[in-house]
Amino acid sequence: MQRRDNQPPGFSLVFWREIVWLRRRPLLLALTAVLPLGLMLLLTAILSAGLATQLPIAVLDLDGSELSRAVIRAVDATPDDAAVLHVAELSEGRHLIVSRKIRGLLMLPRNLERDVFAGRRPEVVFFYNTQTFTVGNLVLRGANAAVPSVAAGIRISLRTEEGIPVEEAKAAITPIPVQTHALFNSTLNYVHFLLTALLPAVLQTVVVTTMAYAVGLDVETRHRFAVLRRLGGGLLPAMFGKMLPYTILFLSILGIADVVLFKYLELPLRGEPELLVLAAFLFVLSCQFIGALLAMLLRPVGVAVSIATVLTAPAFGFMGIGFPRLGMNEFAYGYGEILPGTWYLMARVDQTIRGTPIDLSWKPVLVLTGFVVVLTGLTAARILSMRRAAAEPAS
Amino acid sequence: MTLLAVFRNEFGRVFALRPVLSVMVVAAVIYALFYPQPYLNEALRKVPIAVVDQDRTQTSRDLARQVDATPDIAVAQVLPDVPTAEREVYARRIFGILLIPQHFERDLLHGRASPIALYADASYFLMYNRMSGAVSAVSRTLGSNVEITRLISLGVDPPVAAAASDPMPFIPVPLFNPQGGYATYILPAAFVLLVQQMLLIGVGLLGTLPGAETVSPRRRRLGDALYEAIAVVAGKLLAYLAVEAVIVTVYLIGLPYLYGIPRLGSVATVLAFALPFTLAVGALGLVVAAVLRNPLAVQLVFAAVGLPFFFLAGFAWPTEAMPLAVQWLAKLLPSTLAIDGLVDVAQLGASLSDVRAEFAGLWGLVAIYAGIAVVVEFGKRRRPAVATA
Repeated sequence: MQRRDNQPPGFSLVFWREIVWLRRRPLLLALTAVLPLGLMLLLTAILSAGLATQLPIAVLDLDGSELSRAVIRAVDATPDDAAVLHVAELSEGRHLIVSRKIRGLLMLPRNLERDVFAGRRPEVVFFYNTQTFTVGNLVLRGANAAVPSVAAGIRISLRTEEGIPVEEAKAAITPIPVQTHALFNSTLNYVHFLLTALLPAVLQTVVVTTMAYAVGLDVETRHRFAVLRRLGGGLLPAMFGKMLPYTILFLSILGIADVVLFKYLELPLRGEPELLVLAAFLFVLSCQFIGALLAMLLRPVGVAVSIATVLTAPAFGFMGIGFPRLGMNEFAYGYGEILPGTWYLMARVDQTIRGTPIDLSWKPVLVLTGFVVVLTGLTAARILSMRRAAAEPAS
Repeated sequence: MTLLAVFRNEFGRVFALRPVLSVMVVAAVIYALFYPQPYLNEALRKVPIAVVDQDRTQTSRDLARQVDATPDIAVAQVLPDVPTAEREVYARRIFGILLIPQHFERDLLHGRASPIALYADASYFLMYNRMSGAVSAVSRTLGSNVEITRLISLGVDPPVAAAASDPMPFIPVPLFNPQGGYATYILPAAFVLLVQQMLLIGVGLLGTLPGAETVSPRRRRLGDALYEAIAVVAGKLLAYLAVEAVIVTVYLIGLPYLYGIPRLGSVATVLAFALPFTLAVGALGLVVAAVLRNPLAVQLVFAAVGLPFFFLAGFAWPTEAMPLAVQWLAKLLPSTLAIDGLVDVAQLGASLSDVRAEFAGLWGLVAIYAGIAVVVEFGKRRRPAVATA
């Protein structure tokens, strides 16, 4: 520690001062390191069990025939649904759906079997709740796969009874089969996408708000600003000395989280790791400069942190994590466009899940570079204007 | 200090302290306008895909046209081969590829199965579902037309032929949110979460900014200290309730109405359910203030936890799929029970007795957090006495 007292002012003096600060201030270290890692751990725990399976549904079997039981067995056998109870009437089933004891109700009409074989086309109805979006879609997926497959069995047997060979009958009932292939996410594992996407969203908020706080402490008053400038032996070295320790810290956090994601949770890493690291570096820098700019434009620190929160806390919606950006209105799409997180997320998805060829991967990286260049310029301009303002009363 | 004095003091501080006013009132206005923007289009329509038509016949063009005519998909490009189309997917200009192989029409006319292939971006469940659902529906319709025509040409009666192609139709009936709108699904829950977030930060700031201390210096008996601690907590909670009365009504009734979200429940039931929710959040805020003790820490911590809270609440990600320990942790947040209960009451039209478990659970949280807050206040009153003894 003694050594630094004799150290000439400059970049490295400010750099080391900041590291000592971080060690002495448990709040700052907790916010920049412990909190994001803890939150990632929590999100991983939430998503760790994978998508819900065996969602409970009820059955209203008014037929009680061999066929109706076959339909129930088929729905129950899908990974999505589990037929857990029988109800006696429709209102009871509806009530159970409202109170969320069951997620769907399968209704098999009276005389189902007789009417099917008489060609009267009786309807099998499935009630479900789309207010709970994901669960509603999942529970429907099971029934939607199972009931037509039972119907297909009937259609095949009707033909084989006529003496048509099984293979031919199978071909005859689906003249145009669709082979659906999932691109990129071939196991349809949404946990991979969500975990890949949530880390940038959490980190974006943490970096912008804590930088607004850390820089704010040094520029809040004219006196502290002058101290920082003198320690740095100039404004720009002071600024970079102030920010670099956090760049290293945040990149380490991102690195630790990514090692867990890719090594232990086995998320796919199909692209170029170097490009991923470069994008991460540019992303962290952009967020840092946004935070620093807010701190220099708004005073006191509390206001800068508030505005940083308003700008970044709802950002995950605009980044298109839940609802794709493709479906957004112009304002939401445009706001997403000016968030570094949106572009880092693209670069991240490109280099992890999608494995985008390198010549098509540059756009998000270049946009992030543009962010860094513009934000560095704005920050430098703001620092210079603050120095002029500070110099005026003295002259 | 009496309950009424605490109430008046705390109520005044909400409007006197600028940081508190900005988070409890100004932020409420900003978020009300800003937050719902990404979801207002409700549904994903016209997802752009490319068609790779290797057959180039009347039937294959017909198929492509029918796919384009669905509300879910738009054929944005017609490309010569799959590798070219894949590059367009990587560039994010399209999100799926429909491949119609050579001899599609010929196989169909010969009565053989004539498969088509859909390659769809599966990063989003929603998008993948839309694309595969739309293409399957078109292939089923075209396929059953082919099947019926074949049966009729074999001499089967048309009604019998139609029945044979679809002997047991499957009819899915969504009971609520029938259009499957994304805003209708996410906003009622998100509004509850926003109310909680703003109130927690507001109360956290009120408890950590100067002027929160209401301890009178003179020495007193144990009973007096306890009585005063209860009065302070109750007075503060009532003050928050008074401020939130307007904001909660706007967020739970006004905003859903403005954004066109259907509401089946009565206003009275919604507000009755919101009462323990608001009190529980206020009491949790008092505990948060006692733990964090610094207004900037309150702001910074809550900026970061917003997103994890969103996922803990169990509507973005089903509660059934969470590990048990996480489910219990989630229950400690008022938002978890409140979202379940309030969505049931407002959107599904449930009565208070339908959601009595959630309702009672929220009152339980009020008791727990208010109890902790009283213990903290009581401790503050005991400490000076110990020091002088």
